Amino acid sequence: MTRIERTAWSAASVGVGVLIVAIWQFVAWKQFVSPIFLPGPDKAWAALIEGFKSGSLTQQTFATVQRMSLGWILASLIGVSLGALIGSSRNARDYLGPMLEFVRPLPASAIIPVGIAFFGLTKSMVLGVIAFGTIWPMLLATIHGFASVDPRLLEVSRVLQLSRLQVIFKIMLPNAMPDILAAMRLALTIALILSVVGEIMAYQGGLGSHILEASRAYHSADLFAGVIVLGIIGLISNLALTALEAKLLRWRHP
Amino acid sequence: MKGWVVPVGVLLFAEISARLFGITSDSLASPSQILAAAWSFLSTGVLFARSAQTLLAAVSGLLIGGGLGLTLAVLLGLIPPLSRLLRFPIEALRPIPSIASLPIVLMIYGFGYRMEIAIIAFACFWPVLIIGQSAIVGIEPRLIEVSRVLGLNFFSRVTKIALPAALPRLFVAFRQAAAVSLVVAVTVEIVMNPQGLGYELMTAQNSLQPALMFAILIYIGLLGWSLNAVLLLAQKHLFAFAAVPRLNA
Amino acid sequence: MPGEALEPSAGGGASANAIVQLRDVSLVLGGRPIIDRMTLDVRRGEFVCVVGPSGCGKTTLLRLIAGLLRPDKGVVTYNGAVVAAPANDVALIFQDYTKALLPWRTAAGNVSLAFEARRTPKAERAPRIKALLDKVGLGEHADKYPIQLSGGMQQRLQIARCLAQGPSVLLMDEPFGALDAITRQTLQDEVLRLAAAEGTSVFFVTHDLEEALYLGDRVVVLRPNPGRIAEIFDVNLPRPRDQLGTREHPEFLRLRRQLFDFIEGHEE
Repeated sequence: MTRIERTAWSAASVGVGVLIVAIWQFVAWKQFVSPIFLPGPDKAWAALIEGFKSGSLTQQTFATVQRMSLGWILASLIGVSLGALIGSSRNARDYLGPMLEFVRPLPASAIIPVGIAFFGLTKSMVLGVIAFGTIWPMLLATIHGFASVDPRLLEVSRVLQLSRLQVIFKIMLPNAMPDILAAMRLALTIALILSVVGEIMAYQGGLGSHILEASRAYHSADLFAGVIVLGIIGLISNLALTALEAKLLRWRHP
Repeated sequence: MKGWVVPVGVLLFAEISARLFGITSDSLASPSQILAAAWSFLSTGVLFARSAQTLLAAVSGLLIGGGLGLTLAVLLGLIPPLSRLLRFPIEALRPIPSIASLPIVLMIYGFGYRMEIAIIAFACFWPVLIIGQSAIVGIEPRLIEVSRVLGLNFFSRVTKIALPAALPRLFVAFRQAAAVSLVVAVTVEIVMNPQGLGYELMTAQNSLQPALMFAILIYIGLLGWSLNAVLLLAQKHLFAFAAVPRLNA
Repeated sequence: MPGEALEPSAGGGASANAIVQLRDVSLVLGGRPIIDRMTLDVRRGEFVCVVGPSGCGKTTLLRLIAGLLRPDKGVVTYNGAVVAAPANDVALIFQDYTKALLPWRTAAGNVSLAFEARRTPKAERAPRIKALLDKVGLGEHADKYPIQLSGGMQQRLQIARCLAQGPSVLLMDEPFGALDAITRQTLQDEVLRLAAAEGTSVFFVTHDLEEALYLGDRVVVLRPNPGRIAEIFDVNLPRPRDQLGTREHPEFLRLRRQLFDFIEGHEE
């Protein structure tokens, strides 16, 4: 497909998006659905602008993003380091692997009551929950990436007499990069979800609390505005990580 | 076998230190206490009722969201122009975290099954759509050509060629969505909805019963794990002929 | 008389000149005897080719010499010392070249790996890498990733990396098996050239009998199940070898007939 064709289709797709918004506006205008539940896009947009102008939405967005990023960075550092340690050692994998695989399907939010029991409804509790839930994909992906080095490459490293440290950093880590980066992207979406969950439960401000309060007060426009901001956060973070991935994994598609 | 050494060791250590130091706490419990709490709880039958609530919501949400996702996936997969047209709206809506739908749905439905099922459906829709679409698109083009040459109408092409060929990978999408459905169900119950296992978990914590809390937590973990294992087994059994990527097992 | 060494040992008694020696080497893997009481010498600067059907332990033999495997019985020595681990200057070239290269590094980066392993001073690396890539004809492709290189180029890259070790012995495991005929011939001549220039001893495993005769000073024929030496043929053909000339040489044709008959006669 030529570049022109591709651009045309993208434009058409955006057009479809606009069409959907137009239909939404029509439905809201005609009140097919009660405006208490479904505000028109115009109202949602107004609430969005107002929220940022007055600074309240800005502050809440900042709180959520900060929380999400902090938990994610923490989890990434711990998850990858631990994963590297475990993944590079056959013994560690044998002894710890099954146990870790078992924890994988556990809903991260189920740790919230435990977190509350230990830390109460605090900021650190929310951060801890985010880190806990985010660590698993990173940890497991790193272990898998380190363990899945082609045996031929390991033979090559033996013939070349690479030291253990060299094997870990020059062979296993680059080999694990695709898995790690994919897991980091997944982990960021989990971090966002857990941030919102934590904010809803622990009344810690941020967008989670904002949309909850809006729903309680039946301020649907504010609610939708908050949801839109959350969507934008998700979109931007995903795009940023995808771009990073493309840059770091240039060798796959030069 | 090696995999048991560490967990058993940790449990033994926890048990011994709990007994040695005689801890009574609002937030900790020894393995034997957890076991005892689990046992007495089991006999009340509440666990069964709660599990049923959670599973009912999860399965309903999975079927609704997964069904919608599958339908769209098939359409988009088989009609590339449609997929190109819908790319922008899908990419714009996809990043919205499933939990963000909670307040909206709460507003409309209040507490109860419908609210939970709606959120689960929203969460399950996306993985099925995305993975399902790639499963359809990944069908051996030769098979599509064969179906055209045979003159099958669209509906037959879907049911007789496309779906069976894409089935192994569609099952992987289904497995992912099933895991998501359970996680979202429990999450919604923990955060808001006064029913199901998540709610029971929160109740145990609120009433300062750490042993019961941990027991339910472990139970939820076991439930998720066995669900996953069963589906994986089914996949190996049904689709042994197809080389399917073990997407995070 | 170009012939079969009756006792396939030393092939000349000059074990002092042997760079690699196997004495009564046996190895069992996964319950099966792969190699049974093998005795063989590789002389300094010699080009030894090993042929045999699958199951004769050719690849295992390479790994024993490389120090990746240890024999159950018998002794493998390199430069007089028992091989306990891979040696600094023994290089191994694998058949599946794609898997032996680092996909995330450029051609230059791949060659650099050998220098990094030896902790060569950084300043020396770049010119030496360039020289090696030029030597194998990849000078223009230093910044390309393996995925961008053809099969033949990838194999040459692997050769370049092995040469970076400054090897005294080159172990090659059916290196050209996965390449097309023309590339194969080009690389055969390149290996001959490189080995002759440095006086490298080469231990070359192949299933291609003509390739073995074309390249080697000696051709060792192995029998399978378990692997044993069936015969060793001396190849007294003039060097440097030439793809057309050598292959039409009466001695080449005679050896070819002898080798083929021998193999066929031993087909079990």
